[in-house]
Amino acid sequence: MALLRVTTALLLVCAARLGAQTGKASEAQVKAVFLFNFAQFVDWPADAVPDSQAPLVIGILGGDPFGDLLDATVRGEHRGARPFVVHRYQRLEDITRCDILFISRSVADQPDEVLTRLKNRPILTVSDADQFAERGGMIRFVTDRSRIRLQINQEAAEAAHLTISSKLLRVAEVVTPTGR
Amino acid sequence: MSLRDWPIKQKLTAMLVLISGLVLLLTSAAFAGYQYWSLRQATRDALAVRGRIIAANSTASLAFANVADAREILSALRADRHVVAAVLYDKGGHVFAGYPTGVAGADLPAVPGPDGYRFERGLLIGFQPVEESGSQRLGTLYLASDLGAIYDTFRLSGVIGLAVMAVALLAAYLLSMVLQGAISEPILALAETAKAVSTRQDYSVRASKVGADELGALTDAFNQMLGRIEDQKNELQRYAAELEQRVEERTHELQERNESLRRNAAELLAANTELDAFAYSVSHDLRAPLRSIDGFSQILLEDYAGKLDEAGQESLHRVRAASQRMGTLIDDLLKLARVTRAEIRTEDVDLSVMARDIVADLERATPERQVEFAIAPGLSARGDARLLRVALDNLLRNSWKYTAKQPQPRVQFASVEANGGRAFMVRDNGAGFDMKYADKLFGVFQRLHSAADFEGTGIGLATVRRIITRHGGRIWAEGAVDQGATFYFTL
Repeated sequence: MALLRVTTALLLVCAARLGAQTGKASEAQVKAVFLFNFAQFVDWPADAVPDSQAPLVIGILGGDPFGDLLDATVRGEHRGARPFVVHRYQRLEDITRCDILFISRSVADQPDEVLTRLKNRPILTVSDADQFAERGGMIRFVTDRSRIRLQINQEAAEAAHLTISSKLLRVAEVVTPTGR
Repeated sequence: MSLRDWPIKQKLTAMLVLISGLVLLLTSAAFAGYQYWSLRQATRDALAVRGRIIAANSTASLAFANVADAREILSALRADRHVVAAVLYDKGGHVFAGYPTGVAGADLPAVPGPDGYRFERGLLIGFQPVEESGSQRLGTLYLASDLGAIYDTFRLSGVIGLAVMAVALLAAYLLSMVLQGAISEPILALAETAKAVSTRQDYSVRASKVGADELGALTDAFNQMLGRIEDQKNELQRYAAELEQRVEERTHELQERNESLRRNAAELLAANTELDAFAYSVSHDLRAPLRSIDGFSQILLEDYAGKLDEAGQESLHRVRAASQRMGTLIDDLLKLARVTRAEIRTEDVDLSVMARDIVADLERATPERQVEFAIAPGLSARGDARLLRVALDNLLRNSWKYTAKQPQPRVQFASVEANGGRAFMVRDNGAGFDMKYADKLFGVFQRLHSAADFEGTGIGLATVRRIITRHGGRIWAEGAVDQGATFYFTL
């Protein structure tokens, strides 16, 4: 009984801390970290990387919800020898070379066109738009009771020759595209 | 009972068991130490491996803040009952997830410590960095394991070790019981033999030799010694028997000799006594006719003087003189015989006083002679006073007599050192004697001077010698013609 009580107390403490962190750090902060973390769990095809020191580009298409949070998160970070850079795009045409692309909700309102145009390009597409994964996006942020969960469309990633780590898959919800 | 009094068998067995026990103990201790050390290593390595696996599995959970997944991963630690706690910390060092669900105890670190695995406060703890593909640190995994695994294994090996040690000690004991015989048996055999020799005095037993080692050499030497002792003992016994026989023979011989001596002595004594008795009775019987001769010669001279001429009277005077001399002779002979027969009564005698007494008598009898006497004072002896007086009287009277022709006669009585003892001495400066006749001086009727020069019977010195001899003493004389004589005697 005593153990149970202590356990419960500790649980509460843990939850409170987590809550405080996420709550205070805000959704945008968490998402920025997640974007950065994706780089650790995704492998790009070899022909998509010009050389071993080429920067790893995180792009933001449309309105930027992060402010300078994303820049702060990736500042000074590397994946292997590749430094992280953040690029902001207003139009799809602006995208030349990009590894991870966050598509803002405004653009994602018509995602089908965007997704069709990005299809088979080795770019990890991420968005928090509804039905994003079902519609052919790769990863969607789902806000669930102040927590961020992930939905992953593995087929889309495979079509773009991206390999998503099974570890990432394990913490996410794997969805299959509709209408097929 | 102190250790040195233990029987040799027990000593050897104890030594062997002690040595084996010590070796076993040291070996076991070394092995246990090594095992403890290697067990700790192994346990630490095992926990490190486990930590790396869990850390690798929980990267995504941390990266994407999936607490449920993290808990699930940590809950796999249930399979290891020794892992008491596990905590995942996020990048910021805050507790992210714990095992068991909700971690118990104040021992849990609130923030992660330095990376690595170590033993702390009876626990094995480790901080494992959580990284994905080695590039980015996502958090830290804390693992705490009790040392039960080490202790379980250690306890098991302890029990096995004790069992092995017990069996080994038992084996060592049994083996030493058998093997100690190789050393103790010959020693015990030797001791047994030595005991038999010393208690039964039996030198014919021999210790049996077991091997050709030092104990064998000892046994050989012991047996040789026994052999030599036996030989010597036999020889001694032979000598003793021989000696005994010889002593017996000698004793027998001596007894025979003694017997014959006693017989001779008895015979001699009888003969002597008979002779003395004869001499005494002869002398005594001779006096009566002699007195008649003298008496009737006197009657003739007094009553018939007118009828006898001058020549007749002269002849009768000679008859009387001769018969008187014969009387003196007979008196002396009687005196000698009496000396021989008299019993000796020993007492303290002052010879100086006695000598002065005799000299006074002499001077009273012949006051016309002037002789210088030098008598040393305080000469004393133990003996028969009557007989000693006779002897001393004879000696002094002798000197008195033989100094008669000396213009300045001198007689000395003193004691001197002679032959390592004390001797009395009577010395005069009278006529002396020729030393070649010295042995005749003390014989009966032996005279060195004619009766015309010095009258005498030749019995005096014989009497003196008999008296001295009867006192157990000795008498001898030195002298030269006209140079005086010296008589020495001891008592």
